[in-house]
Amino acid sequence: MELMIEVAGLSVVLPPDTIALHGIDLTVHAGEFVVVLGRSGAGKTTFLRSINRLIEPTAGVVRVAGRVVTGASATELRHIRRQIGMIFQQFNLVRRASVLDNVLAGRLGYVPSLPSLVGHFPASERKLALECLAQVGLAHLADRRADTLSGGEQQRVAIARALAQAPAVILADEPTASLDPQLTSSIMDILKAINAERGLTLVVSQHQLETALAYATRIIGFRRGRIAFDGPPQALTPAVIDAIYGDGEAG
Amino acid sequence: MRRAAAFVGLVVFAWLLWDTGADPVRLVQGLPWILDFVRRTIPPDPRVLPAALAAALTTVEIALLGTAVAAALALPLGFLSARNIAPGAVFYPARVWLNFFRSVDTLVYALVFVAAVGLGPFPGVLAVIAYTTTSLAKLYSEAIEGIEPGPVDAVRATGATRLQIVRYGVLPQVLPLFLSYVLYRLETNIRAATVLGFVGAGGIGFYLQTYLRMIDYPAASTVLLVTVAMVMVVDGISSRLRDRLV
Repeated sequence: MELMIEVAGLSVVLPPDTIALHGIDLTVHAGEFVVVLGRSGAGKTTFLRSINRLIEPTAGVVRVAGRVVTGASATELRHIRRQIGMIFQQFNLVRRASVLDNVLAGRLGYVPSLPSLVGHFPASERKLALECLAQVGLAHLADRRADTLSGGEQQRVAIARALAQAPAVILADEPTASLDPQLTSSIMDILKAINAERGLTLVVSQHQLETALAYATRIIGFRRGRIAFDGPPQALTPAVIDAIYGDGEAG
Repeated sequence: MRRAAAFVGLVVFAWLLWDTGADPVRLVQGLPWILDFVRRTIPPDPRVLPAALAAALTTVEIALLGTAVAAALALPLGFLSARNIAPGAVFYPARVWLNFFRSVDTLVYALVFVAAVGLGPFPGVLAVIAYTTTSLAKLYSEAIEGIEPGPVDAVRATGATRLQIVRYGVLPQVLPLFLSYVLYRLETNIRAATVLGFVGAGGIGFYLQTYLRMIDYPAASTVLLVTVAMVMVVDGISSRLRDRLV
C-alpha cells in the first residue's frame, strides 16, 4: 500500500517551554482510518496540527503523499495543504458568511487568486461546492448564513469544505467533542463513508473510546507527547487502555 | 498609600484651579451677560435660513466625503497595524505612525490644508481625511486583533494565500464592526466639520463665526439651530444604521 503520511522524529515545543511531542515516528498508509486517542494535553491536537504546519514543528520530518511538509517553501506548503482537509472541534466556519461561501473557501488553493479576492468563483467551482454540500446532505441550506445552522449541521458544512479541497487526507481534531452525543455517530458515519467511498485517508482524534473502537481501522494512543499504543482496535486491551489514560507517572 | 494618593489628587486639583484662573465668582458675575446674549438671539432671523441650510449641506458633504475616503484609506493601514496579521517589522512602525498622526486634531489639519490649497470646503475634506484615516485605522486594527482565530486557521489549512486568508477568514468577521466604526466617525466628523468654517475650511462654521463677529445674534442663532438640527438628523440616521449592523 502507498504511504500517505510519514512522520519521523517529530518534536514540538510550544512556547515558552512545553514539550508537546517527543520525537514521534509513524507512518499511515493510504485508505487507513486512524483514530488518535489520549487524554487532553497528551499531544493529539499538536500532532494533527503539525502535519499541515498550522503548528510549526520544532524538529523532525513530515511527509504527506510523498511531499515534504517540513521545510517546504510558502508556495509548496500551500500546494501540500490543498491535499490535506482539516476538520475542527469548533467547526471554525466563518459565521457571518453563507454556507456555500464557507464550502467555497475549500477551493481557495485552486482558484485564480485575484478573482477570488473580489469574491468571484467560476461556475464550475460553485457546482463542485454544491456537490460537496450534497454529499453531507445539506445542499438545500447553501444560501443560509452559517451561524443559523445547528452544531451538527455546521460540522457537516465543515466536512463539505474539506471535501471541496479534493484532498488525499483528512485530519479531524475532536470533530464530535462539541456536539450532543447522539450526533457523534452521524458525523463519524459521514467520515467513514468518505473513507470507504473515496478511499481518503483519515486521521481523527477522539476522546470517546467506544467511538474510536467502532470506526477505526487503527488506533494510536498518545500519552504525554509520546505514542503509548499503535495497533488495531482489537489489540486495545484494558492494560493498554490504562497505559493511555492511567494516572501512573511515566508512560 | 490610599491617603497619600488622595492628598496628591487634592493638591493637583487645587493647583489646576489656580493655574487656569478658575473662579466661581467670575462665572456668577458673567451669568447676566450670558442671559443677555440668549435674549438678544431671540427671535432667530429667518432671512439667513437659506444660506445657513446651504452651508449646512456643505458641512455634511465635507464630513461624508472625508469619512468615505478615510474609511477606504484606513483599510490597508488597519491590517498593517494589527498584531495578529502584520509581521513585527511592519506592525511596530505602523503603530507609531498612527499614534503620531492621530494626536493631531481635525481643526489643526484644517489650518495646514487651508494654507496649502486655499479657502473652501476642499481643505476641510482633506482635514477630515487626515484625522479620520488614522483614527479609523486604529479602530480597525483593534477589531482585527479581536477576531476568532478558528476560522482563520480553517482557511489557512485549505492552502489559501495570505491575502485570501484575510479576505475569507478575517474580513467577514470584522466588516460589520468596520461599518459601525465608520458611521460612528461620520457622526463625530459632522460635529468636527461644523467648526472647520472658523478657519476658512468651508461649511456652516463660517456663518456662525461671521454673524457672531458682526454681533448679529438673531442670525447667529438661526445658524446655530440649523447646526443642531443637522447634527441630530445625521446622528439619528447613523445610529439607526449602526443598530442594524450589530
